[in-house]
Amino acid sequence: MSRKLLVIAVLVMVASMIFAAPITLYIWQGAGTTFTKTLQDLCNQFTALNPNVKVDVLYTGNYHDTLTKTISAVQGGNPPDLVMIYDVGTQVMMDSGVVIPIQDMIDKDPSFDINTIIPAARNYYSYNGKLYSMPFNSSNPVIYYNKNLFEKAGLNPNDPPITFDQFIADAQKLTVKDSSGNTVQYGFTFGTGEPIAWFFEQFLAVQNALYLNNNNGRTGRADKAVFDSPAGVRVLDFFNTMVQNGSAINAGAGWDNAESLFLSQRAAMLIDTTGDITMMLQGAGSNFKVGVMFLPHPSGVPYGGVIVGGASLWMINTHNTQREQAAWDLLKFLESADSQSQWSAATGYFPINRNSIIKLLYQGYYAQNPEFLVAVLQLLMSTPGPATSGALSGAMPDIRTAVSDAFSNVFSKAMTAEQALQQAQNQANKDLANYNSLY
Amino acid sequence: MSLPRKWIPYLLLAPTFFIITVFIYYPAYQSFFMSLYKVSPFGTSSRFVGFDNFLQLFQSGRFLQSVYTTLIFVVVTVGIGLVLSLFLAMLLNDKIPGIGIFRTLIFSPYAVSPAVAGVLWAFLLSPLSGYVSYLFLIFFKVQPQWLTTYPLALIAVMIATIWQNIGFNVIFFLAGLQSIPKSYYEAATIDGANSVDKLFNITIPLLSPITFFLIIMNISSSVFYSFAAIDVMTEGGPSNTTTTMMYEVYREGFFYFNNGAASSESVILILIMAFFTYLYFKFGQKAVHYQ
Amino acid sequence: MTKKQKRTVHVIIKEVALIVITIIMLLPILLSITMSFETPSEVFTYPPRIFPNTLYLGNYVNAFNSIKLGRLLINTIIMSVIIVAGKTVFGILAGYAFANFKFKGSSLLFALLFVTIFMPAEMIMIVPLYKLMVSLHWVNTYWALTIPFIASATSVFLMRQYFLTIPKELEDAARIDGAGSIKYLTKILIPLSKTMIGSVIVINFVYAWNFYLWPLVVINSNSMQTAQIGLQMLMTTGATRNWGIITAGTIIVLAPVLILFFAVQNLFVQGIVTTGLKE
Repeated sequence: MSRKLLVIAVLVMVASMIFAAPITLYIWQGAGTTFTKTLQDLCNQFTALNPNVKVDVLYTGNYHDTLTKTISAVQGGNPPDLVMIYDVGTQVMMDSGVVIPIQDMIDKDPSFDINTIIPAARNYYSYNGKLYSMPFNSSNPVIYYNKNLFEKAGLNPNDPPITFDQFIADAQKLTVKDSSGNTVQYGFTFGTGEPIAWFFEQFLAVQNALYLNNNNGRTGRADKAVFDSPAGVRVLDFFNTMVQNGSAINAGAGWDNAESLFLSQRAAMLIDTTGDITMMLQGAGSNFKVGVMFLPHPSGVPYGGVIVGGASLWMINTHNTQREQAAWDLLKFLESADSQSQWSAATGYFPINRNSIIKLLYQGYYAQNPEFLVAVLQLLMSTPGPATSGALSGAMPDIRTAVSDAFSNVFSKAMTAEQALQQAQNQANKDLANYNSLY
Repeated sequence: MSLPRKWIPYLLLAPTFFIITVFIYYPAYQSFFMSLYKVSPFGTSSRFVGFDNFLQLFQSGRFLQSVYTTLIFVVVTVGIGLVLSLFLAMLLNDKIPGIGIFRTLIFSPYAVSPAVAGVLWAFLLSPLSGYVSYLFLIFFKVQPQWLTTYPLALIAVMIATIWQNIGFNVIFFLAGLQSIPKSYYEAATIDGANSVDKLFNITIPLLSPITFFLIIMNISSSVFYSFAAIDVMTEGGPSNTTTTMMYEVYREGFFYFNNGAASSESVILILIMAFFTYLYFKFGQKAVHYQ
Repeated sequence: MTKKQKRTVHVIIKEVALIVITIIMLLPILLSITMSFETPSEVFTYPPRIFPNTLYLGNYVNAFNSIKLGRLLINTIIMSVIIVAGKTVFGILAGYAFANFKFKGSSLLFALLFVTIFMPAEMIMIVPLYKLMVSLHWVNTYWALTIPFIASATSVFLMRQYFLTIPKELEDAARIDGAGSIKYLTKILIPLSKTMIGSVIVINFVYAWNFYLWPLVVINSNSMQTAQIGLQMLMTTGATRNWGIITAGTIIVLAPVLILFFAVQNLFVQGIVTTGLKE
């Protein structure tokens, strides 16, 4: 009797597989040309294994525009299945009510081992132990440095600075002026606006310090900013010391000008994201050797680590179980060790699956590409905790503007670090209250 | 010919008004409604707050600063832009060899999108490695921090905006100059007028319908379209000194997703512009010389 | 000096002035052209170069292939042509109405129309406009890309201004000759306004050509995206953001507009616009 049932069950399953309507999943992502191609390749591999499911990868602008488009689509009843949303959009997505938390799919699917996801990535996109989105393209801040210029300045290119003090000292040695007293080479450069606000968050985590209350919003909704602290002041002073003594240059808003300063060898050190490693290597070409170092940290202060940046993949609730199941299968595939290894090797983002890291290590990838190893190690050597899990709030973009303004105010000597941070924190508290008022 | 003349203007206007009613006024009305609410980014929760959003704005130092910045921005970009463009248009109003190419090249900055213009200027003004910075270093031996200090950053975004709009102004000044009969100038020469006289007594008055159009269009363009360049070049900094009202709206709506705030700022912006336009038409028309 | 010699000197001075001015104005674009011919590691040489060392064409090839620029250009041309046709035609009709007719409500209607200049779609109307597209089933179609934008307060305002400069006597003369309002428009006014209409066409084309956010929101398939979206894709932070390719893409996208302008500016023939009253 039971064997008959078994046969029927198998027949039904097979029939449903054969007769299941083919579906097309839509993934929206805001990454550049290489990503689109690599992502489409991976999705094609998925389709090869699941002929019923085609995947359409659409480029939808930068991260902000992608969120705008997603909001329109969802409100218009036309949502994608999966969408890549940037890190600071996490709480907005969580609060939206239109997503399916990944944890829900995991709980129904014993075949997926959540422990393959590296803790740093997992912690960032979780709240109260629940994973909301699938980490995908995660990055870290690192310092790129010009090994040739190090040698010229009498510094050992294989012994870059580790502490704030060493960094500041080296930056001065790497500053070169011409006969009229104009600086023609800076020791250090960085971008303001969003970049420096992100770096500020990172340097707080490096000191194991919190950015927002309630454990960075991880154990309760964050309603106060706490970055006006000795740790925060240390970060402002770190940048400002070098700006005021002329060894560092504020390259302007955004990432581009800082990068071009570094690549044209007008600055010896650059703080940037691991997401741009390939661009750095290509841009330097045969002109100079690029080195990668950890973020420096202040000595005598507890060491935390870095926070993942980048974006993650969110499942939108399309109210269609078949699509959602297919989307989940795609997510599992994209998270698999094999896919993550391919993704990492092609784009420079590090894998979020620990088995990928192990595989790449065994394959000799990190031996051949030591720069990528630095990024991975910095993340893996971070102490898991609320500080390195990153701040969670829908008001993060607003707060970043306030933080960037604090830096501008300090650089222009309009305020001291303490005053600037206090003003930024007050503004941040207003922004938090504003966002939270709806929840 | 069978249509009574009375109906003709309305028929001529019908397509335009149909489109703007359905596709501009109808969605806009919904947006303006949002200014009375606090709305979540995805619109899933909202709360009626009446004029709270507006009150918050007037108490916000940032908003008031953006009004001031906008004022300076508009006056400078429109004023200098029009004068430069008129000068260029007069230069280009000639049939010398290659004039077509010169016109096209001088027009080309306008063809670039504001965002791209911002990218190009940000590159040029990049410290040390940008070409303008390089020129300043070797010719003047100084290193102005174009994008990171006040007031240079404001000057930089104004230059980028003026640069962009020259093409637009030149086209229309050219068309306007073309329609001034040569005979007027010839007659003036016979009467003993010199170039300056001709400029102020013939050219400028006869160009006034076009100038009237250009002033308000330039103001509109400075206010509503220059934010893209600002975003790329300075992100509104340093310390909000290059944040115009429209840029603030843009950030509220597309970065912070504070829909209620963005909506209320837009409403205020439109009201200011509408009021200004009313004054402009009422008093400006008198200065315009139609034949 | 003879008149001819005076003229020659005049021309030479003008040419030199124009060359200098053009170079200064074109500096950002010249730089882009230079970068577009440089390899990734050449792009960042210091001192920055104004003229490229070699003519590396790889960037152009890459720009075309990596974002399927050809297809994007075609989409953008189609969309732009439709928008330009609409704005220009409706602009002429409505401008004519406001300039040459006295009718009830004209001031109010003009004001209502004019205010829309201050209401760009991309400012705060994205979501409601998108929802409207959904209810019309226009999402991901050329309808959504074009129809909401085929009216133009700017074009109406401009044509009105221009028509107002045409003397009323011309219209009276035409009426005496038996021409009705529409005939006057098509047979006399429009030919007289060739240069202005040419200008309107160009600026409307630029407006449509540089559309970015709306096409991004309303288009859901790769094959229908527009050129500016492609450019943004080249520029987005990515592992291989390559300024050579970005500038090559920018130049390619810029080209059609310049070609159009060059064609139109031929209409700017220097000459006398007859008032038509001499006969």
